[in-house]
Amino acid sequence: MSTTLDEERTGTRAEADLRLLGAPDTPWVTLVWDDPVNLMSYVTYVFQTYFGYPKARCERLMMQVHTSGKATVATGPREQMERHVEALHDFGLWATVSKADE
Amino acid sequence: MKLPFRRERGGDDVLLELPEHERALLIDLTRQVVQLLEHGDADDAAVARLLPSAYPDDAEAASEFRRFTADDLTNRKIANARVVLATLADRPLEPSGDDTGPTTADTEPRRRGSRPRGPRPDARRLDTAAQQAWLRSLTDLRLTLGTRLGVTDAGMPADAEPHLRAMHAVFDWLGYLQESLLQTLTRR
Repeated sequence: MSTTLDEERTGTRAEADLRLLGAPDTPWVTLVWDDPVNLMSYVTYVFQTYFGYPKARCERLMMQVHTSGKATVATGPREQMERHVEALHDFGLWATVSKADE
Repeated sequence: MKLPFRRERGGDDVLLELPEHERALLIDLTRQVVQLLEHGDADDAAVARLLPSAYPDDAEAASEFRRFTADDLTNRKIANARVVLATLADRPLEPSGDDTGPTTADTEPRRRGSRPRGPRPDARRLDTAAQQAWLRSLTDLRLTLGTRLGVTDAGMPADAEPHLRAMHAVFDWLGYLQESLLQTLTRR
């Protein structure tokens, strides 16, 4: 009995470990959505000063927000994306968190 | 036309010069945003825009996020607005080169090379922290007014009521102020 239990436990743990290895940090994304109020220059400025991305990348992201309605501005662990969203709300940008595949 | 914001020569500070009636208007509007943040209903469309949902498709995650962030976010927005009010309430700067009064010497060490070309008597000074508070607070102000006016990418409806036209002019003016501050910060 005890042997079987041990085997089961070991098997379960191994499975759990495999799950962890498979997806240590399921990627999440920070999205910024288009809004009719924020100035294009301001959105670019926020991307530059907050994320520290090069200006050309910030302008590209800003144009994507403007023309496509939204843009993925960061990818990573969920907690980090939530910190980004809170900071972007500080700036008055309309930002949300999603799973990367959504 | 003279821009409202400009960088002080050789320094990090930004100087703001606003006509008295514009200063009074900005104080009034900013106080209203503080009121809204302090006492506003979470269901109010303007409050919802200032503190948007982080998870539009997941009510549980959204309320969890809100529980952990909304108070701090609200307090920071109120603090930013109070910086704007403090700047606008400041005693205007003494004209440069006028060192006759003891108050000038107490509050403002004489700057090397100060000349009559310095800040005008009604100028206000924004240090780097105040510049960031102003940027954010002007944004909150525009988001609030924009929500109230139902601003869209298409701009103002052609048949808008006269009083709404006036508020749209104020909205545009706030955008002009923010653009001027942004240009001052990004062009060195």
